[in-house]
Amino acid sequence: MIGVATAVAAVAIAVHLGMSFLYVAPSNTVNKKHGEMISDYLYPEFEQNWKLFAPNPLQQNVAVQARAEVRTPEGGMAVTSWSDLTAQDGEDIRHNPLPSHSQQNQLRRAWEFYAGSHDAKEQPIGLRGQLSEQYVRRMVAHRFGPEHDGGTVERVQVRAATTPVAPPSWSEEKIDLKPVVRVLPWWPVTSGDLPGKQASGDRRSADGQAKESDR
Amino acid sequence: MNLRMLGGRLERAAVRGQTKITGAALGPYQSAVVRIGFSFTWLLFLLREWPHRQVLYGPDSPWAAHMARQLIEGNGAFTALMWSDSQAWFEAVYVVAVLSSALLLLGWRTRTMSVLFMVGVLSLQNRNIFVGDGGDNIIHLMSIYLVLTRCGQVWSLDARRAARRRQRPSSPISPASHVPSHAYGTSAPPAPPSNTSPPEIIRTPGLFGSDSTGVVLWTLLGTTLAVITALGELSGGWALIFWGLWAIHAAWWAVCRYAPGEPRAVMDALANLAHNATLVVIMGQVCLIYATAGWYKIQGTRWQDGTAVHYPLNLDYFSPWPGLTDVLASNGTMVMVLSYGTVFVQVAFPFALLNRRAKNTLLVVMMLEHVGIAVVLGLPFLSLAMIAADSVFLPTIFLCWLGSTLRRGRERLLRRPADKPERDAGQRAARTLVG
Repeated sequence: MIGVATAVAAVAIAVHLGMSFLYVAPSNTVNKKHGEMISDYLYPEFEQNWKLFAPNPLQQNVAVQARAEVRTPEGGMAVTSWSDLTAQDGEDIRHNPLPSHSQQNQLRRAWEFYAGSHDAKEQPIGLRGQLSEQYVRRMVAHRFGPEHDGGTVERVQVRAATTPVAPPSWSEEKIDLKPVVRVLPWWPVTSGDLPGKQASGDRRSADGQAKESDR
Repeated sequence: MNLRMLGGRLERAAVRGQTKITGAALGPYQSAVVRIGFSFTWLLFLLREWPHRQVLYGPDSPWAAHMARQLIEGNGAFTALMWSDSQAWFEAVYVVAVLSSALLLLGWRTRTMSVLFMVGVLSLQNRNIFVGDGGDNIIHLMSIYLVLTRCGQVWSLDARRAARRRQRPSSPISPASHVPSHAYGTSAPPAPPSNTSPPEIIRTPGLFGSDSTGVVLWTLLGTTLAVITALGELSGGWALIFWGLWAIHAAWWAVCRYAPGEPRAVMDALANLAHNATLVVIMGQVCLIYATAGWYKIQGTRWQDGTAVHYPLNLDYFSPWPGLTDVLASNGTMVMVLSYGTVFVQVAFPFALLNRRAKNTLLVVMMLEHVGIAVVLGLPFLSLAMIAADSVFLPTIFLCWLGSTLRRGRERLLRRPADKPERDAGQRAARTLVG
């Protein structure tokens, strides 16, 4: 019995490490053929990605900025100036020995999620595209709050300015350091996008979102 | 060569190997330090994120519960936070995650706490997968692996309790005899390892024997599990895992109490086997991390031309100390040495395991680099998690030295304010047991 158990353990080690290896390895003969089996085994709990700063480290700063269209107390509409949300994160991280994930990862990764699931015409690709749109919109709505710049937030707009990191001073490399700006369409904000309305509010926003994507 | 002789030798080697991997849970200090490292990292992370917990994982988070639900329906990830969207449930799960990390760190009911620790890690991380980084990824994997190890054999309250039980039937207490041999690390691993139940059979009166806390905990968790199962919240696979673990606990308690002979020996051997196999997986996982990180870097032009380190130092999100990063990033030779050094170490690490001295040297270099990354790039939790993972390769002699140094330091610290010598002696006896 112990012998059988030992054999089972040995096979389990080989399978687990083998699958993990094939998953992180570059595309090759074996994992191209058995890709589905490998991801079936590893998803969702054993997923891994260890290309840390590899093959090349990220060489650009992405600044996510947002502005709002607000209804003023007088009843008119006004568009606020752009707020640099990434710069606010940077402010929070500076001289902070323990940066929070909410400062260091949340907006950065939300933008990556959005950029990775939208085409060049800002059309969402599949469910992930739609979810990423909601995520970015809600994050902006959370940061602005219901009242922003003296009015009630009705719509928000996001843009991302990507600036390459300048090559080191000793390098002879010359690159264009002008930021590339990607401007997204205006998105309506509902009360469900804001904190404090969780259960019912979220459902309302989900309905709104469904209608929006039906259009 | 005589074939029969060769066959005989192979057979003996197989028997020896078999005895070794089922006879003991190997690497008691290494598995303990991995347990302590990861539970500490996650505990610190949870406490640090306490003010930000709502925006990261709460029902009101920008990544709202209904959005997470859509994603999870697709991938089937485990998270207790999907069982209810209420604020109270979220707070409860977060608090359980904090408490289970703290208790796993202390090694109280280690195996049970390792399961709750895994539940906490998976619940929070899978609730919002868009706020993590490499550090969260390694904690995620290790929280699962730790469940299968006997990581509370040393440096745990369980070990202290087990040692006390071993002492109790014997002659009156003398401080020296109180110290288990392994606490000083001069001899082999401790004899009877146990994570969950007392290893010795102690015939004390009472329905539950000597471990009423364990029985209460087991009943409580079983009831919770029954409620969750009845509500239909668990997938078949997870139900099997949790009920399986729960049943094994009962079986272990029963064999310890009623069948101390062969059944107990068989279960003990199986637990050792699972522990040792998982230890191999943990070590393989660490190698995989460094091999992947290193080998992909070799293909990168920035790592080739020796400027790679310059770039992360100039990213807004990873430069908490602008003065420090400016000094580092402005020195071309330094950047080149750090870039090349990183690649060398990462690629070399798995092969360095073949040589003890090379392995230990690289371990020191890598841990120092992680300390540097923690400060310079503002990634303390990722670095702590990586150091915890690296620790599985630390030499036993170093860990024992570390243990006894910490113990002596603590004794010195505690002795001063103690004015009653009697109490002091009691404390010392208790302390030495933890190793």
